[in-house]
Amino acid sequence: MGIKIVPRHGNTFKEKLYLPAILGGMKVTFSHFIKNLVDTSNIKTVSYPEEEPEDITERYRGLHRLTKRDDGSIRCTACFLCATACPAECIFIEATEREDGIDEKMPAKFSIDLLECVFCGACVEACPCDAIRMDTGIFSIVKENREDFVLDKETLLSHEPFKGNKNDD
Amino acid sequence: MTSLIVGVVLFNIIVSLLLSLAIVPILVWMERRVAGFIQDRLGPNRCNIGGVRLGGLIQSFADMLKLVFKEDYTPESIKEKFFFMIAPVIVFATAYLTFMVIPFADDLELGGKTFIMQALPIDLGILWFLAFAGLGVYGLIIGGWASNNKYSLLGGIRAAAQVISYEATMGLAIISILIVYGSVNLGDMVRYQGGLLFGFIPAWGIVMQPLAAILFIITAFAETNRAPFDIAEGESEIVGGFHTEYSAMKFGLFFVGEYVAMAASSAIIITLFFGGYQIPWVNTSTLKENFDIFLIFIAIVLPTLSFFFARWIKKNNTWPQKDDSRNKEAGWLIKALIIINILVILAVLVGLVFGIGHDGISMTVALVQLVTFIVKLFLMNFIFIWVRWTLPRFRYDQLQDLGWRILLPLAMANILITGLFVVVLGD
Repeated sequence: MGIKIVPRHGNTFKEKLYLPAILGGMKVTFSHFIKNLVDTSNIKTVSYPEEEPEDITERYRGLHRLTKRDDGSIRCTACFLCATACPAECIFIEATEREDGIDEKMPAKFSIDLLECVFCGACVEACPCDAIRMDTGIFSIVKENREDFVLDKETLLSHEPFKGNKNDD
Repeated sequence: MTSLIVGVVLFNIIVSLLLSLAIVPILVWMERRVAGFIQDRLGPNRCNIGGVRLGGLIQSFADMLKLVFKEDYTPESIKEKFFFMIAPVIVFATAYLTFMVIPFADDLELGGKTFIMQALPIDLGILWFLAFAGLGVYGLIIGGWASNNKYSLLGGIRAAAQVISYEATMGLAIISILIVYGSVNLGDMVRYQGGLLFGFIPAWGIVMQPLAAILFIITAFAETNRAPFDIAEGESEIVGGFHTEYSAMKFGLFFVGEYVAMAASSAIIITLFFGGYQIPWVNTSTLKENFDIFLIFIAIVLPTLSFFFARWIKKNNTWPQKDDSRNKEAGWLIKALIIINILVILAVLVGLVFGIGHDGISMTVALVQLVTFIVKLFLMNFIFIWVRWTLPRFRYDQLQDLGWRILLPLAMANILITGLFVVVLGD
């Protein structure tokens, strides 16, 4: 059995002086300070909420969107499966009859209260029509009053799918 | 004549007030911003008045405003309400009075009269500093005791023990430089440092007495309760130390007092060891003799520096949202820089063409030395901040060990060596 003898530090004169080690540490902090002072873009801090994180991928579960059919009309048939599956009960749907013959039902109102939403994705799983997705890649949702957090049908329809981060390649 | 005297004295008092009080928000801002940069963070940068952020400086004013308007709460358990109230005042007032004897320019000669450029024109100098720096700790002790709280009392005791240990070393370090300068008057010390050693090195205290300089700087850190010697408020062990029970502006006075003490310590360090208001290699008489050359030097250097500063502002003072008013600030700052440059160059041209007379030269030299002093003051404060964000806090026994078994013998040996030198060389 070999016993490994770990050398003890702190016994030489230079180490007992302390000042060289302190100056070494101060050199490190100063190099960081100068690097960041000369160009603040070296700092990785994300200015939330103005800036989005850079590492969001296409699979990131972000803000919801309502998908559209090929002709641009809403895909949702107001079947209430998402609202039923929702554990936070944050989806509010009012159904109406669909007049254009593409389908029988559509939502007159479809709103999501983002303050209630837990971003679990159960609505996406539950939807039989692939009408709701959470692939917008939107990370920061910041509003100035509570009412603005309830997104209506038009807003949800206007969201676009996330196309990959432009900084990725 | 009397109006002249009153004017100069008022000017001195106002400059000292500005340097000790108005410097506090700048120091708080510097502390947080430098800490941020050292730790690869941004630090405060959002607070603005109409888009003007000044790099985050506005945050300090917002914070101070918050402290003023908060509820000033005194817990029921505190019996000694008077001492509880007076403690932060002592800390603040002593820190602030320390600053009053620092000369920030050479003696001003106006109309045949000589004015000492410090707020209190007295000769006590370093003795005044020692007296009030030592008195400041009474605030911490009284505050810690009056709080009727175990942690506060521990903080107060730690502060007392620490100051007793380090004041001894500080006094001995000062003795060895007093032997070199031969005076307790801070003005005389700075004038001595205007000379040259061996004809080419500025005779600054740090060159004459490097060991005393190191000892004094270390003890000054301990004296102001700054990291790595801030065990009096060691928040990881004793909550907030002496200021645990304090709130609102009472805490604010402790907080401001700490920064005023830091500024005062920096001022005394640069006065004793870094040439005070002296520009290296250019003392007052050289400056007065070669005044025209100096004006031309300013007219060349200032725009060059401003150019690089403006480029730095343009590059770094930005905001992610394009339509935010904070994006306009860089343009305003650059315009302000250009206007300042034009004014200074015009003033220099007027001075060169028409001449500004003996009194004018005296006043301008005093102004230049004041600016030098302020630059040095900020550099020294930067070192205080830099050290705080580099070194971890000392353990209590390590602190006493360092104070009594290393620093004190070193200070004594330094006095012995200095004394021998002076006796052998015979000056």
